[in-house]
Amino acid sequence: MTRILLASAALLLSGTSLAQGQLTVYTGRAKTFVEPIVQQFERSTGIKVNVRYGTDSQLVAALREEGSRSPADVFWGNSVGALGELAEDGKFLKLTSAMVRGVAPDYVPDDRSWLPTTVRFRVLAYNPNKIKPGDLPDSVLDLPKMTSLKGRIGWTVTYPSFQDFLAGMIAKHGEATTKAWLEGMKALQPKDYKTSNVGMLEAMRAGEIDVALTNHYYIQRVNRLNYPVETYFFKNGDIGNLGNATGAGILKTSKNRAAATRFLQALTGKDAQTFFLSVNFEYPVIGNIIQPTTMLPYSDVTKRSPRLDPAVLPKNIEKAQRLLREAGLL
Amino acid sequence: MTLRRRLPPTLALPALLTALGVVLPLAYLVLRAFGAETQELRDIVFRMRNLELLRNTLGLALGVLAAGTAVALPLAYLAARTTFRPRWVLTLLGVLPLAIPGYVGAYALIAASGPGGTIQALTGLAWPGPSGFWGALGVLTLFTFPYLFLNLHAALRTQDPALEDAARLLGRTPGQTFREVTLPHLRPAWLSGGLLVTLHVLGDFGVTSLMRYPTFSAAIYQQYTAAYDRVYSAWLALMLLAVTGLTLWLEARLMRGVFLARVSPGGARQPPRVPLRGWVLPAWVFVGLLGGAALVVPLGTVAYWLRLEQNPYALAGLWDATRSALTAAGVAALTTTALAFPLAYIGNRYAGRAARVTERVAYLGYATPPLAFALALIFFVLRAAPGLYQTFSLLILAYTLHFVAEAIGPIRTSLARATPRLEEAARVLGAGPGRTLWRVVLPLMRPGLLASAAFVFLSVLKELPLTLLLAPTGFDTLARNVWTYTEEAQYAAAAPYALVLALGGALLTILILRRERP
Repeated sequence: MTRILLASAALLLSGTSLAQGQLTVYTGRAKTFVEPIVQQFERSTGIKVNVRYGTDSQLVAALREEGSRSPADVFWGNSVGALGELAEDGKFLKLTSAMVRGVAPDYVPDDRSWLPTTVRFRVLAYNPNKIKPGDLPDSVLDLPKMTSLKGRIGWTVTYPSFQDFLAGMIAKHGEATTKAWLEGMKALQPKDYKTSNVGMLEAMRAGEIDVALTNHYYIQRVNRLNYPVETYFFKNGDIGNLGNATGAGILKTSKNRAAATRFLQALTGKDAQTFFLSVNFEYPVIGNIIQPTTMLPYSDVTKRSPRLDPAVLPKNIEKAQRLLREAGLL
Repeated sequence: MTLRRRLPPTLALPALLTALGVVLPLAYLVLRAFGAETQELRDIVFRMRNLELLRNTLGLALGVLAAGTAVALPLAYLAARTTFRPRWVLTLLGVLPLAIPGYVGAYALIAASGPGGTIQALTGLAWPGPSGFWGALGVLTLFTFPYLFLNLHAALRTQDPALEDAARLLGRTPGQTFREVTLPHLRPAWLSGGLLVTLHVLGDFGVTSLMRYPTFSAAIYQQYTAAYDRVYSAWLALMLLAVTGLTLWLEARLMRGVFLARVSPGGARQPPRVPLRGWVLPAWVFVGLLGGAALVVPLGTVAYWLRLEQNPYALAGLWDATRSALTAAGVAALTTTALAFPLAYIGNRYAGRAARVTERVAYLGYATPPLAFALALIFFVLRAAPGLYQTFSLLILAYTLHFVAEAIGPIRTSLARATPRLEEAARVLGAGPGRTLWRVVLPLMRPGLLASAAFVFLSVLKELPLTLLLAPTGFDTLARNVWTYTEEAQYAAAAPYALVLALGGALLTILILRRERP
């Protein structure tokens, strides 16, 4: 008892002292992907990093309520949606052109408000014991025509990458096409796994569904557990293969911009990039990183994604959510 | 059972503090809810989907309450009134599921079922996976029925046998005695347990999301996850609060006029135990099935995950996470029980609307969506006391205000059984109010206080949204690790955290068991 009280007293006193050489990072990324990078950064620079974990949207909401009093220096997010929201709020400092040099140019927003840290692709996951890839459509827009898949399709309506994909569809094909696609999909009675891609692929393993709209790396991860789940890409340039970045930006509230800059540079450095690929199977944003053989090479996979300005996605997310709400899906 | 009418200031302070915990988020939600244009508001508030959410939410709450009672009452009766041995099996089974967070239980059951699931890997049989209404009902029942069990068990154990003896002497059969005397006396215990189960179901988003069953809380969580506009989530939260308000009003109506003190306040004679005879086998089958579903399958699945490839980084944080989780839960259990005691006391011993409302208000705080509560605290604290932001004290304050409702129930049940005449006697014999409290009231309430502290301890261990947003930066807990690793399909990394969590719950259960032994 005494010990608990002492420990809590110590915690109470520790408070939030902002000494020089400290950095506070808010991140929607999972701890497994963050912790090793942070530890290495602390060792090599001597800068102490405090990390606050949460989901992207929780942290965006927190940053908004905090306003100018926010203790955060860096936001490191999981989706262009969250990054775009913060950029639109004017929360990010504009990055120098030197900082974005050599970083996957297709995924750097024109206003340089944030820096891409990894790239992932939307794909269709399928159970090879049930589905022949030759029977799958060329375009995700034709998925609603696959009446044989009625009740056997999984998707994650609440998941940020799904909404980014829908926003991309609006940007490329317009609102009417997207609305019709959603209605067509709804007629096939897809199962909504909310935010849980892992739950969805568990359901595919258990035979609840045969195909699922997801991010490429989830398939790589469950393949380690020997689940019967394979990757299907639609035809080149199809919106169903949309490439989508994670990224980080420096907040205007930052009291230690020099350290924040160094942190962003570390995220796009060779060590961090190799690490992201090896544990999370996300594509690096810089060249010369060796990839596992189970993944298509970056030069190949990036050709399959349509070309869209990354700033265009966040602008269409609200429309995407309105369409989902109108369709009764959200 | 009214003693005094006016609240002394020492009791008014906790009441005010609790009210603050409800008023702040409410003010915040209203502020956000009316941040939209009229047309948008109309689209948001008058949607068919809101009706569907209402129907689902109420249906699930009633279903889980019924199923939970069907499980908890027989188990509590077996443990409190029969010669079933060994008895610790029953108490463990009745409490330990609380140590398993619902979303972990749901994940484990999903991963265990179907072709290629753990159950098939171990036994060769593929069980169908839980989903939808029945899935949510099953999982929520399995991991919330202990709230009912603990309350019912305590009530059955402490019920005055003189009443049942009187009924038997007046010619009632054992069956009639149970229906006409024992059951009605369980009402306050059933109501406090049932209220917690109901509030828990109303507030659950982890299980309902995984089971793909849309309720208000699941929709609120989705809004906060998917959408960056805070208007619709605020409206959903206000609607949820209205549903909760209704539940509380209903419970208050059902509680009215209940007087259940012991007739013989002197010696605490305990009810006799009935021999099981031919019921031994059915009792064991019941215990086996329940234990299999609520404990063996989830914990077995988690243990099975341990065998998967380990991630050294994941294990490195285990000690830190355990220490901070235990510290936070320990401190919060103390502060919350300390706050709940005066509230329950006011609600039980004072007359008048103010006293009743005060206690109800605490329950409303429990029903406030934790994410909304956390955002409200950020909003107000940064404006009023920025030095407090992201400190351990604020986190404890948030836990205390949020979980105080969980602590009130058991205390209230013990209070209802401690006749005020003992306090009156102590005062007449010259003891001051402090001495009366220390020597008479607190000893009578010890089981209730312990149960309250245990409830809060377990809830804080499992808590997620408040911890994520309000904890000091770098503060890590077991629940957070379990959640983030399972979400990323890193089951091997999640397993040790989940097991330590369950172990903590088991140790706590054993502690309660030792204290309960007469």
